Amino acid sequence: MKIVAVTACPTGIAHTYMAAARLEKVAKNFGFDIKVETQGAMGIENKLTESDIRQAQIAIFAVDIEVEGRERFNGVKVIQVPLQEALKNPENIFSKIQR
Amino acid sequence: MSQKSDSSLQFVFSCPLASGLHARPASHLAEVANQFASECSITNLRNGRVANAKSVLGIIAADVRHGDRCTLHVSGPDVHTALTALRRFIETVLPQCDVPLAPIASSPRSKPPRILQTANATYVPGIPVSRGIGQGKVVILKRMTLPKVAGNPSAGDLQKELGRVEEAIGAVRHRIGEKLKYSLTPTGSAVLQADLAMAGDVLLLEKLREQVRLGKTAGQAVVETGEFFVDLLGHSENEYIRQRSADIEEICLQLLEEVSEISPPATIDLNEPSVLVAETLGPQQLLELDRRWLKGLVIEHSSATSHAAILARSLSIPTLAGVRNARLVLTSGREVVVDANRGFVVPQSSAAVRRFYEREQETLGRRKKMRSREAEASARTADGRSIEVGANASSGEELSLAFENGADGIGLFRTEMIFLGREDAPTEDEQFAIYSEAARIAGTRPVIIRTFDIGGDKKVPYLNLPHEENPFLGYRGIRIYQQHRELLQSQLRAILRASAAGSVRIMAPMVTSLEELLQFKAEVARAKQHLAHHGLEFKGDVQIGMMIEVPSVAFILDELCKEADFFSIGTNDLSQYFFASDRGNARIAGRFTVQHPAFLRFLKQVVEQIRPSGKWVGMCGEMAADLRNAPLLLGLGLDEISVLAADVHDFKRAISRLRTADCVNIFDRAMACREASGVEELLAEQPHPPEPLLSEELVLLESTSRTKEEAIHEMVDAFYISSRTEDRDHLEEALWAREAEYSTGLGHGFAIPHCKTDAVTANSICILRLKEPIDWDSIHGEKVRMVVLLALRESEVANTHMQVFSSLARKLDDDDFRQHLLKFDKAEQLTIYLGEQLGFASSPLNLGPLLTERPVQSRIP
Repeated sequence: MKIVAVTACPTGIAHTYMAAARLEKVAKNFGFDIKVETQGAMGIENKLTESDIRQAQIAIFAVDIEVEGRERFNGVKVIQVPLQEALKNPENIFSKIQR
Repeated sequence: MSQKSDSSLQFVFSCPLASGLHARPASHLAEVANQFASECSITNLRNGRVANAKSVLGIIAADVRHGDRCTLHVSGPDVHTALTALRRFIETVLPQCDVPLAPIASSPRSKPPRILQTANATYVPGIPVSRGIGQGKVVILKRMTLPKVAGNPSAGDLQKELGRVEEAIGAVRHRIGEKLKYSLTPTGSAVLQADLAMAGDVLLLEKLREQVRLGKTAGQAVVETGEFFVDLLGHSENEYIRQRSADIEEICLQLLEEVSEISPPATIDLNEPSVLVAETLGPQQLLELDRRWLKGLVIEHSSATSHAAILARSLSIPTLAGVRNARLVLTSGREVVVDANRGFVVPQSSAAVRRFYEREQETLGRRKKMRSREAEASARTADGRSIEVGANASSGEELSLAFENGADGIGLFRTEMIFLGREDAPTEDEQFAIYSEAARIAGTRPVIIRTFDIGGDKKVPYLNLPHEENPFLGYRGIRIYQQHRELLQSQLRAILRASAAGSVRIMAPMVTSLEELLQFKAEVARAKQHLAHHGLEFKGDVQIGMMIEVPSVAFILDELCKEADFFSIGTNDLSQYFFASDRGNARIAGRFTVQHPAFLRFLKQVVEQIRPSGKWVGMCGEMAADLRNAPLLLGLGLDEISVLAADVHDFKRAISRLRTADCVNIFDRAMACREASGVEELLAEQPHPPEPLLSEELVLLESTSRTKEEAIHEMVDAFYISSRTEDRDHLEEALWAREAEYSTGLGHGFAIPHCKTDAVTANSICILRLKEPIDWDSIHGEKVRMVVLLALRESEVANTHMQVFSSLARKLDDDDFRQHLLKFDKAEQLTIYLGEQLGFASSPLNLGPLLTERPVQSRIP
């Protein structure tokens, strides 16, 4: 399964990137193909392209702030969680998706 | 000058002093006015107030502020001489009268640090007027106030009462004069001099006499007069003038003691560390206290400009003013802490408070040590080229400040001040005392003493220099030496004698031609001969150099290099002569700056012509005083720059982050700019050379902090110790603001507090490992053993450092990486490991060989 995700936290210095790393790692354990876009102090990195999004079955927003360019995800199923959730219980998120 | 009648003249001036015509300059002005029989008055054209120019109190009450236009009116028998003298004083001496006050401390913080808040310590806020932290037992000073006059005035012997008043004034002036003799600091002397003038003020005496003539006793007259002036000054809109009412009250109390109406207040004997708490404090009262035991001052009145506050600053006594109800809240005999860095008193010290301040003292001590270590190291660029960073000075105080900040020498010791503001020339011995003191303080570091540069803007009454239409192009500097040969000789002898005490060099001002330099050298030889003849000690090979401030010398440098031992470029005069542009003329002042490509090309020629001779070339003046010019100064290839004493540390730090090749490149590009604005842009676009993200001072592996509050505070202190923040409160608040969103605890015993704030001077990583794990309100409720703090400058977020931060954040998700961080014993190992892992170089700056020579140093391309 292909998944896209966006991480963003208030200061954009630490948690945005930690959560991205965590999601990538756990997704791999689940055998998912994931691409994570970070919206932090450096702006948008590893930006999700139109085709990334089109090919994805599901989008995960692990964010504490508004997602930039949310309209890009129109028509895609989105699971939105507080960023902490991606650090605390990333497995939960993917188990839900698996089901 | 307009003439009103034969015996009445006036002229208009505007106040040149930044802090207005306050007590000290006013006392000088009144002193001059009092030499004449004519009546002298000042009218402040801004507010219409008219003051007797012979009265300090009168002048102060006229509230003359910076730039106020005033009329000085003189009438009487000696009107012409009086007006000439006053005019000369106002034009030439007055501008020099402003003893600069130490900057007033910032406004108080509204809250104490979080640790004290959580320790439930109470605190009483106040305005810090003299920084520092002091601890001691409260001693409450009872306020002496002028007693109310009771009953009807008793008609006594008029002449006898008048005599008592005059005797009292004489006695009080004598008392102040005695204190003046033993005054230890220039600030103390200046304050006492103002008091002395106030005690002898003509208005004061007039008012006292008037009261006695009304039939009052001497004592009653003093009380009435005191009340009159306290009321007059106390109701001024000007804070500074209001403060003077405390001074006059203190003087009147002393007068009262002298006429024996009240017994003098018992002097306070301090015999243990004490904090004095008072409603107000007179400057003389403060000087009477035993300073060995005086650890802090708490004053109820808000009085940053009171003379007591000014004295406290000069004596480094931590002082808070504007502490409301201090005498009620602070109990006599109780141990308190005066925190005049942050702006509050902690009225009762508990174990938590004591622990906080013990750690605080340790932090302040470590910061001081760190800064003095940096100060001792010579300034080196990142690629290892060294350049001397000297300071300009004109007093022993400035000299000490310069060396405290790490100056490699005194690049310019001005001597004009020694000659200004006095009736007779200073003697050789008087000068010797000043120069040898400077040489002694400097030790082995060089002190370049410039012989007097008088004329032009600086005039001296006893030299009788003619008034000139264009003094800057006239009779000044070395040009007047032939006529005032004996004055030069006495100065040269004094400097030569001082050379025996240290490393002194002599520098001639305003040299325009080779002949002048040769003559100057002949004068030095003559002075040496004289000293040798009289068996006085001096160093035979004292270096003789010259200022480069007249463009003509740029074309004869080959010849001058044969005669001068060293050169110092004075950019202020050099640029003004080079551009034929008066620096004081507002219409053209901004047009021709030292950053102009024409001037830069000229400087380059000068330095390149000196270079083959191997002679030392430095720079003093405003170009070298501006930190933004640092790349240009290095690119020019100077041996030395002489900057403001207070800026030495900052310059050394800035230089350590620059590379010679970059600077040479910037200088070349600046010379090639078509317009001055291009140079400005070029300098503005230079990246703020980054400091390493991590240095060993930011790695704390043995922390004994017991709470999250303490741990964060300890890390913030590490920033302060390594001069990465000057505003700890702000940094701490920014970190706590982030914690308020949700805990930065990560699990696995790690926490990653972070913030974006310009309270840090450089993007930084700070690491703290705890001996005993502590609570961090973490996600899993788990205790924290390792704290990795990230601080990013808000205005520089789009920086390559951010990439390091994000990869660090990602790596912290990795078990292996975390295990590694936990195992290091030494800060150095951990620093190197992190540098390798994250791809940045790290090393403490300025100290020893630089590890930053690695090619990976992050920098905006």
